[in-house]
Amino acid sequence: MSANERLFRLLLRLVPESFRERHGEEMLETHRLRLRDVGDRTMSRLAFLVRESWGVLWLAVRLRTGGGRAARSARPASVQRMGMLDGMVQDVRFGARTLRRSPGYALLAVIVLALGIGASTAIFSAANAFFFRPLPFADADRLVMLYETNPEYGWTDQTAAPANFLDWREQVSAFDDVAAYSSFIDDASYVLDGEPVLLAASAVTGNFFDVLGVRAAHGRGFRWDETWAPGAGVVVLSHRVWMTHFGGDPGVVGRMYEIGGRPTQVVGVMPDGFSFPSSETELWLPWGWTPANRDEVWFRRAHFVRPIARLASEATPARAAAELDVVVERLQRAYPETNSVMGAGMMPLRDFLIRDVRRPLLILFGAVVLLLLLACANVANLTLVRGAERGREIALRHALGAGRLRVARQLLIENLLLALAGGALGIALGWAGVRALAALTQLGIDGATTIALDGRVILFTLAATLASGILFGLAPVMRATTGRIHGTIIEGGTGASAGRSGLRTVRALVTVEVTLALLLTMAAGLVMRSFLLMRSVDPGFRTEGVLAVQITAPSARYPGRDEVLAFQDRLAAALEARPDIERAGFVARLPLDGPSWSSQFQARGWPPDRIGFEILHRRADAGYFDVLEIPLVRGRMFEPRDRGDAPLVVLINETFAREHFPGEDPIGQRIAFDRAADERSTWYEIIGIVADQHQLSPGVPARAEVFEHRYQDWWRGAWVVMRTRAEPMSVLPTVRAALREIDPLVPIAEAQPLRDVWRASMAREEFILVLLGAFGVVALLLATVGVYAVTAQAARRRTREIGIRMALGARSADVITLMLRHSLVMVGAGLAAGLALSLVANRALGSVLYGIAPNDPVTTVIVVLVLSAVAAVASYVPARTATSVDPVRSLKQE
Amino acid sequence: MITPLTYTILLALADGDRHGYGIIKEIEARLGPAAAPSTGALYLALQRMENEGLVTESPALPGPDEDARRRYYRITRRGREAVRTESARLAALVETARQKKLLPRRADA
Repeated sequence: MSANERLFRLLLRLVPESFRERHGEEMLETHRLRLRDVGDRTMSRLAFLVRESWGVLWLAVRLRTGGGRAARSARPASVQRMGMLDGMVQDVRFGARTLRRSPGYALLAVIVLALGIGASTAIFSAANAFFFRPLPFADADRLVMLYETNPEYGWTDQTAAPANFLDWREQVSAFDDVAAYSSFIDDASYVLDGEPVLLAASAVTGNFFDVLGVRAAHGRGFRWDETWAPGAGVVVLSHRVWMTHFGGDPGVVGRMYEIGGRPTQVVGVMPDGFSFPSSETELWLPWGWTPANRDEVWFRRAHFVRPIARLASEATPARAAAELDVVVERLQRAYPETNSVMGAGMMPLRDFLIRDVRRPLLILFGAVVLLLLLACANVANLTLVRGAERGREIALRHALGAGRLRVARQLLIENLLLALAGGALGIALGWAGVRALAALTQLGIDGATTIALDGRVILFTLAATLASGILFGLAPVMRATTGRIHGTIIEGGTGASAGRSGLRTVRALVTVEVTLALLLTMAAGLVMRSFLLMRSVDPGFRTEGVLAVQITAPSARYPGRDEVLAFQDRLAAALEARPDIERAGFVARLPLDGPSWSSQFQARGWPPDRIGFEILHRRADAGYFDVLEIPLVRGRMFEPRDRGDAPLVVLINETFAREHFPGEDPIGQRIAFDRAADERSTWYEIIGIVADQHQLSPGVPARAEVFEHRYQDWWRGAWVVMRTRAEPMSVLPTVRAALREIDPLVPIAEAQPLRDVWRASMAREEFILVLLGAFGVVALLLATVGVYAVTAQAARRRTREIGIRMALGARSADVITLMLRHSLVMVGAGLAAGLALSLVANRALGSVLYGIAPNDPVTTVIVVLVLSAVAAVASYVPARTATSVDPVRSLKQE
Repeated sequence: MITPLTYTILLALADGDRHGYGIIKEIEARLGPAAAPSTGALYLALQRMENEGLVTESPALPGPDEDARRRYYRITRRGREAVRTESARLAALVETARQKKLLPRRADA
């Protein structure tokens, strides 16, 4: 049953049982068929669902009150039991009429509520996608991620070495099966009709699809033995690529294509919507290891697979973890060279997938709850201010015999009507917000679920709507039921006399508003300042006017080292010959795009217990440092003479020199990337020190890094970086032309200005900033409205008093001061409460802030000043208006 | 006098028995999607009309290709009378509107 049907069924519960017994199933069936007719467009579905829900609610109200007099005869007793609800329909009608009479108030209230409800709907739908929506795998709660841990390297959830993964798979009986996929997306170049195309491929073990419990839509998935056959050449296509590149033809299964320079057979097509492990995955290829790999050291030393296990049906996670520990200890003893301190852990798949977004989402959700509260306080305030004007009407109704409860119900129904309208508009806003969220970042658990409005989100919105309707309705209702009847009528006048108790409630509410607004603007301010600080960090390289293009030399035509290097040299020369390209260089992985790989090392002459842990590696050439303007601090740069047959050389960054050679001169030292280096190790000589570049994000300090030379440690898939004389992306056609001259069959995998890489490295922070910033602005607006409304009301109430004062010679400045004093007291109280609360609340922000403490004094001062200034203006304007009234007129007004 | 929704439903049933969804489809086909009531409103009206004797549950199974599990509604003699009365009343009103030039005459009239 779909979420929509569940919602409909839920609403049907409100309908009296006798009616439901007779018509319930029929109604559900009719609803289902109509929903099918509506089609897939979100807006029309939404409109239909709102209308249908309203229809059922209306049905329930009619049946439970006198409205559907004839219809309820199915079981009259039920109506008598619900006698308390008699007249509800009249109340609804009356409420609607009342609201229509003051459209300004109704509109403002609806908009404020819609803002609060819309924002919470959008954030909840994101949270829903991550925390609640089912993962698209069979029995997803039996799936666990496995990872390696290592206290020496500071690893907490590291990718595993394939040899370790294979041992876990064979020796832990609590796992039904364990598959492994590549944590990186590789580009597979494939040739269709003679044209080169690049597709994003995920390397997987043959049992990958079986472990996830996903079946191919056409053909089959892989078999376990295909993990091992490097020559087999089989591929499974994603639904998307099957549609875009193969025209959705089921006959593609069984056909041969050239992928990665190798003849490869398409064995299957996955169903629509499946793109694990990444939403970018376009096809799956087997790892293609050889059985001989299992005995090689690198197979246990290099950590690059993500194992995912399915728990055996009788096994508990605790038992699996215990068994895994036993195997890990066995491996530590058996392979001391690689595994001496290597541990392993497991966590539920969902926890693993959301580990990076959990904290930001919780922060945003907390913020949005505050925003909704603020919206409620605001509307309650508006209602009270208006209620003051309705005081006489309410008192009259009391006098005419309406019970207090009846009057309270009337007010509550008005509020609920407002809330429902706000909720309906809010859902539309939320829907737009969801679109914006999805566009803003590639959120969505990669490849596993997407953000969308579903039944759960709509239920949440409904709950939020009703809760806020009751919440903001509470204060006015309480007042109506405890108010003094007699006094209000004889007070007469304009009815603007809310009485002192009313004003006190309003002031208390404004104080609450200011408190909430302070919390929200403070959060926004902190994140903003942190973001600006992060942006101002020098990433250690030039970001402007640099284009990066990924080009892979296919192994079919460039089988070995000499061919690849010749291709890359020719390409660099062809690019530099173009007038709009100044200089070109090569690097294996762009800075700020994460580390490529890491290792430990020893220098010649170090004692066996001195080991350098977790140094990052990057492969580059002299052109790279030149294009990115990374200065050489000491020593010399790579030179053409550092070829494969020459002594091996590396450059290190300053952090490397500082951390691993304190008080020594690293230049001339010889290092090997082993923890027990000896004569069999590969030794490199350090020839120079370059300045640091940030590898992860401007917010993460540079780590120790070593650069190998392209001529000595060659590789196929390279980023070509170019300093351009024009806007970087405008040079792309030139690059294509140059590449075509050299080899028309080599595609460009990706092209982006380095500025975008830099910005993308702060995308998470930007995302949080944009949302919290928007909340902060809305909060500020709402608080302004609140302060303004209450001051304006106080001014109206005291028109006569002000008139007398002015007539007796008071200067308008004195009167304004008098009025401002009240609002400053209430704003000051709100600010003080907000500051106290923010000391606690801001701690939640700690982990997403860069460069400042959660209670940064600069931000605090600025936010308090801004809020005070805004509040001062909001109270000055109505006060000024009050004093500008002609004393005679204001006295005559009574 | 009967409500516009009652009138619309009676019209939809005038030429054959239909279940709830069938009534909706008939109204949508004749009067456009906006004219169809929500599912809740439809069944509220049907229950009321049944109580007032305007429609009744259809006793016999409809044609072979229809869904036998669904509940079908049939217009009663009283229902037909109500449609006739209401149609005459509306026709008189429309004629008045025409005479007062509020509605153009149809080309064939």
